[in-house]
Amino acid sequence: MPDSKRFLHPEAIKRISRLDLRARQIVEGFLAGMHRSPYFGQSVEFLQHRQYTAGDDPRYVDWKVWAKQDRLYVKRFEEDTNLRCTLLVDVSASMRYGSGAMDKYEYGCTVAASLAYLVLRQQDAVGCVAFDEQARTVVPQRTRRSHLDSILQALDVSAPANKTDLYPVLHKVAETYPARGMMVLVSDLLADRPPLFRGLRLLRKRGHDVMVFHILDDDELDFPFEGPTRFECLESPSALSCNPRALRRGYLAAMGDYLEEVRRGCVRHGIDYALLRTSQPLDAALAAYLSSRLGMHHRN
Amino acid sequence: MPTFAHPALLWGLLIAGLPVLIHLINMFRHRRVRWAAMEFLLASQRRNRTWVLLKQLLLLLMRVGAVAAVVLMLAKPYLPSRWGGVLDRRNIHHIVLLDDSYSMTDRWADTTAFDEAKATVERIAEDASRQARRQSFSLLRFSQAGGEDGDARPDVLDEPIGGGFLEQLGGQLRKLAASETAVGPLGALEAVERVFARDASEQRIVYLLTDFRARQWRNPAELVPALERISRSGAALHLVGCVDRGRANVSLAALAPTAGTLAADVPFFMEVKVANHSGAALNDVLVMIEADGSPRPALRIPAIPPGETVAERFPLRFPTAGEHVVAARLESDAVALDNLRYAVVDLPADLPVLLVDGSLDSGDAVYLAAALQPGGPVATGITARIEKPRYLSQNPLGEFRAIYLLNVERLDDSAIEALEEYASEGGGVAVFLGPACTPAFYNERLYRGGHGLFPLPLAGQEALPVDRLEKAPDIEATDHPIFRVFSGDRNSFLSLVTIDRYFSVPENLPEEAHASVAVIARLRNGAALALERQFGKGKVVVFLTTAGPAWNNWARGNPSYVVAMLELQAHLAGDAGAISSRLVGDALTVPLDPARFQSQVRWIPPEASPSQAATSEAAVLSDGRFAATFSAPIAGIYRAELSGKDGSRQARRLAVNVDPLEGELDIVEPARLAEALVGVDFRYQPAATFQYAGEELSGASLAEPLLLFLLALLLAEQIVAYWVGDHPRNAIGKGGAG
Repeated sequence: MPDSKRFLHPEAIKRISRLDLRARQIVEGFLAGMHRSPYFGQSVEFLQHRQYTAGDDPRYVDWKVWAKQDRLYVKRFEEDTNLRCTLLVDVSASMRYGSGAMDKYEYGCTVAASLAYLVLRQQDAVGCVAFDEQARTVVPQRTRRSHLDSILQALDVSAPANKTDLYPVLHKVAETYPARGMMVLVSDLLADRPPLFRGLRLLRKRGHDVMVFHILDDDELDFPFEGPTRFECLESPSALSCNPRALRRGYLAAMGDYLEEVRRGCVRHGIDYALLRTSQPLDAALAAYLSSRLGMHHRN
Repeated sequence: MPTFAHPALLWGLLIAGLPVLIHLINMFRHRRVRWAAMEFLLASQRRNRTWVLLKQLLLLLMRVGAVAAVVLMLAKPYLPSRWGGVLDRRNIHHIVLLDDSYSMTDRWADTTAFDEAKATVERIAEDASRQARRQSFSLLRFSQAGGEDGDARPDVLDEPIGGGFLEQLGGQLRKLAASETAVGPLGALEAVERVFARDASEQRIVYLLTDFRARQWRNPAELVPALERISRSGAALHLVGCVDRGRANVSLAALAPTAGTLAADVPFFMEVKVANHSGAALNDVLVMIEADGSPRPALRIPAIPPGETVAERFPLRFPTAGEHVVAARLESDAVALDNLRYAVVDLPADLPVLLVDGSLDSGDAVYLAAALQPGGPVATGITARIEKPRYLSQNPLGEFRAIYLLNVERLDDSAIEALEEYASEGGGVAVFLGPACTPAFYNERLYRGGHGLFPLPLAGQEALPVDRLEKAPDIEATDHPIFRVFSGDRNSFLSLVTIDRYFSVPENLPEEAHASVAVIARLRNGAALALERQFGKGKVVVFLTTAGPAWNNWARGNPSYVVAMLELQAHLAGDAGAISSRLVGDALTVPLDPARFQSQVRWIPPEASPSQAATSEAAVLSDGRFAATFSAPIAGIYRAELSGKDGSRQARRLAVNVDPLEGELDIVEPARLAEALVGVDFRYQPAATFQYAGEELSGASLAEPLLLFLLALLLAEQIVAYWVGDHPRNAIGKGGAG
């Protein structure tokens, strides 16, 4: 029986739960929450007073102030909107590579689970899409705490098998979630870059706040292999027998180019990008990233 | 093209394919990794494919080259052509040490060991003449090596190998024959440094061409230092075995008269010893005998066990006095020279002996003379002369073969001095005591505290009581030549001898007083009866009782008396067989009296006519004798002719024989030789398959450049391997799927 709780690391949850996950862009929501909205409205959170002018809804006149000062003020409330967070988790075969305690798939799922927990704890709605070349599992956005189990189960049952094709997936996500929200893509992004960027651009055009957690293994970043090795592709039948040391320099150059291309692509589209190594402690990585993101938000 | 000292090792080049094989095996031994980021790997591979391939090919070639270089280096390559000569202008000196001892006459098929050795010498010279570098050649036979005094006589000494040299050498070799000596390799090896190592800059190759007989090479302790010196000096040492295997051989080990009286017309025995140097027993070995050139009945030895020597006696009798030649001959076998042996037996017309009797009636002397010279048809060759004691001081004693003192009461000082001089010069003296003798005189004058010729002091006369119960014989003889004839069943007559009186000797003398004295017979009460001591070169035998019947009944009708006295005489007269022990290579010595003979002596070697005689001048030798010497290079009968100052001529014949030990034809196998010569850097080759060894020096050796190349190649291989990424830097982390 699959253990869906394996993606919840108590230490990680404990550390990142001190931080509020805040969207970089304010989105409107229909659930009362903690996220500030540019819209004043019915809310429990008092924002300010304003002198009454004709036409204001007399329900918002603050009679206590009138009684004290004999002036009519209306109360203005900040409308707390709901964050609709969608976790897009890559479960393709390439995510199955791992040299440490966790492979990329496990690491990515843990990242997604941690975020889901955090979002739900903030009373926000979170949904999940597990995909490879297409969306394998779609979990709708919900706010209730028990929704976490549905997400974890969706992640767990999604056995990676196929190759990654991001555009159709992102396109479908954009269609599926028309309301603006936060899209968190957790993937190794080992796919064609043009469709990836096209998909990300589509999400941004739909007004989504997009975060990309780029999960890569240490081996993929450092390529430390020695001795005659046969590399067999996880997503295709191709294979290569070689002396890895001979190809290392070229590999690292190609990898560097690729990372730079992805980073630049994300920056160009206003997407938060974070490269996570599977060897990095998950809590530290998430905490550091979310701190920086919060800082950026405050600066905005 | 380079040539190789060990071309057989070139098969090892097949090992050079090993890196390729390992590479191929590694292709199948790839570690499998299931990999996600194939895109970048393939991109890198596309970009570097040609370059990586070239680097790997280079690495593979380097590894193949390194293995091949190791194999080539072991095979010792060198440039024999003119290039080698151009590279190295030093002279190469070929020093050939040729064994010409008579074991090299070992014959098989249609060749001999010496012929094989000569052919090898020619091959060395021929091959050397084809080389570009300057070469010189020396040849030294073992028999010409001389001693430590440096009088080696090389047949060829540092001759440049050039035009006409080969013909000259060929002519010299054709004249060479194996000597009859048993000389070993030590002298020749020691001569290498002494005689040939004159030019320090030249490269020397020393060839030792010998038969590697087990006698000299099984435990070559004395040869190893000389061989080590040669290899330490930088010379290449090549041992060439000229015999393919050890062969059976039979040698005549000795031919000499047995102890006994040697005189004209007196029968005597010769003893011949035949050694079987083989691993199998020999049956019915026939020994042909010749006496003065006339054949005598051959001896048939029924069986000789393997590795053993059997002695056989045969009787001879020469009616005339003088030197007689006896020769023994075996049937032919692998080595012929040790199948023939000579002996010269010098028989006097008679053997004068002096009997000095102190009694008035010379009673004892009569008995003894009757024993020594029985007369009638029995010839003993002995002429007994009975004299009184004063004769000793008044006449020369040198002519007598023995002197007997019988019941002598006293001698004057001059007589004692003459007697002691006679004994110390090698004469035999026998003393029989008697009633007239007194311990005082014998102890003070003849014994003189051990300095005189008398062996022990006398204590006094003793009577031997008659033992009527045990009936043990009065005389208990030891295994002494005088009494040996009575041993076993033949002592019955000796047991009948009754001794009544005798002189006792003190038993409590210090040990040093007894050191040179042997008791050769005792009485039944344990008292000494007969004593012997060596005095100078002569022997002194004392019987502590009378020679006549005064104190015993031995001389009266007991046949053992005659036998014992004749044996006593033979014993006193000395070892006649010693003259046969001269060996080939020894210096023959003929002492002569300068007052009677001229100092020039003519020597006629065996089978040479008088016209071929050589002359040597007599001189005073290191031992003080005045004698003529002559070197004996071959076996046979040498004749030395002495010219008397009165115009007379006197000839002496001397027998010279080969050393029978050289007839042992066992050889040491190369493997055993290598064990015995641990620490000596040498190369062994059999003559039959001899390959010229000088090429490796005649051209420039490529071993050293090859070593440098190998080191450079290995260094480059390490760099390229690191570059190519073939060397692991550290362990890989846990892989992905795989």
